[in-house]
Amino acid sequence: MKIGSTLNDGKVADRINDEIRRRNSDPRGIIFRTFLQLGLFLALLILTVLLVDVVQNGWGTLSTRFGDFLSGTLRSRSIDEKLGVHQGLVGSFWIAVTTAIVAFPIGIGAAIYLEEYAPKNRLTRFIEINIRNLAGVPSVVYGLLGLFIFVNTFGKWTGGKSLLSAALTLSILVLPIVIITASEAIRATPQSLREGAYGVGATRWEVVRRQVLPYAAPGILTGTLLAMSRAIGEAAPLILVGAVTGRLGTNPGFLDLGALKERFVAMPIVITEWTQNSGRDPGFAGAAAAAIVVLLIFVLALNSIAILLRNRFEKRRK
Amino acid sequence: MKRRLINLFALLACTAVVFGCSSSEDSSSSSPETASASESVEEVGSLEGTVEVSGSSTVEETASASESVEEVGSLEGTVEVSGSSTVEPVSVRVAELFEDVAPGVAVNVDGPGTGDGFELFCNGETDISGASRAIKDAEAEACAATGVEYIELQVGIDGIGVMTNANNDAVDCVSKGDLYALVGPESTGFDSWSDANDLAVELGGTGGFPDAPLDIFGPGAESGTFDSFNEMTFKSIAKSRDQESREARPDYVSSGDDNVILTGIQGSDTSLGWVGFAFAANAADVKLLEMDGGDGCVAPTPVTIASGEYPLSRPLFIYVNPAKLADNPALEAYVDFFMTEVSLQDAVTEVGYVPLAAVEMAATQNTWSSR
Repeated sequence: MKIGSTLNDGKVADRINDEIRRRNSDPRGIIFRTFLQLGLFLALLILTVLLVDVVQNGWGTLSTRFGDFLSGTLRSRSIDEKLGVHQGLVGSFWIAVTTAIVAFPIGIGAAIYLEEYAPKNRLTRFIEINIRNLAGVPSVVYGLLGLFIFVNTFGKWTGGKSLLSAALTLSILVLPIVIITASEAIRATPQSLREGAYGVGATRWEVVRRQVLPYAAPGILTGTLLAMSRAIGEAAPLILVGAVTGRLGTNPGFLDLGALKERFVAMPIVITEWTQNSGRDPGFAGAAAAAIVVLLIFVLALNSIAILLRNRFEKRRK
Repeated sequence: MKRRLINLFALLACTAVVFGCSSSEDSSSSSPETASASESVEEVGSLEGTVEVSGSSTVEETASASESVEEVGSLEGTVEVSGSSTVEPVSVRVAELFEDVAPGVAVNVDGPGTGDGFELFCNGETDISGASRAIKDAEAEACAATGVEYIELQVGIDGIGVMTNANNDAVDCVSKGDLYALVGPESTGFDSWSDANDLAVELGGTGGFPDAPLDIFGPGAESGTFDSFNEMTFKSIAKSRDQESREARPDYVSSGDDNVILTGIQGSDTSLGWVGFAFAANAADVKLLEMDGGDGCVAPTPVTIASGEYPLSRPLFIYVNPAKLADNPALEAYVDFFMTEVSLQDAVTEVGYVPLAAVEMAATQNTWSSR
């Protein structure tokens, strides 16, 4: 009754009309929108400035000796012809591969169990809250965990302070992130899909396998992708589990499995070390910037593989 | 709405392109300079130190080295080096030169810090530990508790040169107290040299600095020289005065590039600055200040730095675990190489430190050979 009467009022009708036609008669709304746009603009601006700065500083190295830079190693002087990021790339590559092999199956499995099988009671809620807390634990703590478990306790199999220990440590570090994002994706699966499948007599396993997982796959992939990028960008825990900072005596190839049990270096460590070196040898600042560009390209390459996979899953979903 | 967003992106892209283009010009023009810089480093390396004595022994060393090349060349193994981040570049440079002689030996070098290095060393986890000070009693006890012995070898000296403009006649010699008053943690905000007089007198100096602008240039916090300077100059005074900060005042012009610091000092008649000694010694148009450590003013020269007479210097050591030598011939070969003139003279100079004087170098070599 009241609604009807206000609607008949000409002003309100006009306002609704304006709103529908997106004519802006609402000053507070305009301010809010401008504020949001400003936020977006600032975020993009900061990102652009960072990118431009890094490319600008690294350009000298990238444009003159890109090939040598990719195949070179850690050196004591920035003018050294053999200075490069090869060892760092090998380390980061294996960290990415191991995280994918170890953390993803375990994390996605845990998420499926929590969402589809586990009863919703206090215990599972408690576990879920703790997984969320684990995702916020500082990475150095995981480094200590890795030092204790993989370097000391299982040193016989991992080779002690080694690339394998580091990769396993980072797998544990990203596990909570994988579980949380996979859980969210599974939870977003419409209940009607499950009910429909149960209705035609499917078992729980068949529902998960044929309905839930295909629907949640793109979301799960996006989450695991973020987790992998996180693992590649970590430096602090690596120092504790065997990354060298000054010099790595060997320069193994990408497919050299023996290197997994040896000491190693990864891209974030290379970048940190060279930035510190720039105090004593300013030429290292350019090398550090170039290494950042290489790391960005590396992460983008990994991401684009994951995006291609996601698109394939999304097509199948439709 | 969509169109506006696209415009926004286009704008950002344009700025990116403009910046990007200007950068490529800058860097391409600067690359030949880097090449010439590398040459000058080598020159400096050969200029440093006492030429007459070292010249003759270089020949002997290389001769003896070439005899054992074939043996060493076929060596395989791993050497783990950790310890001081100040010594790290020396160990790395030596390892790089050693690589050409013994390509089969992998030398891994780490630099978590002198204290952390000794912890690993005393646990038997590393073969060599670098140190920017002698081992402390507590650390020696920890090593004794685990049965790890050590051979202490001094490999070089870390020195810092304090400088002012060549036209500045008012200052010739300063003490650590004076430097504390001028650039220490309590000097924040002092714009004039005379502002520091009261504090300098309080610390036992004579003060008497003129009322002239105090323009300070020095390495930034990212630099190892920054830490060294703080430790050598301010640490004990700040501790005795119960100061929370034991670092240089934050309000000075800092740079990671020694050339920038030098240009700053040259640009102001009443400037004050500091850089690593190896760089300071070759700087033109600046006045290197003498330091008074309590026994009169001492000018920084390779001799006074090597002898420790000049107060702003500290020894750099490596500690070798003798028990590891027996089952790791690669370790012995690496330390042997570390003890040659090529390492102790050239490598040390190349990474910016002061090599030992002839007598001390012979003493270090002797300690190693008579172990």
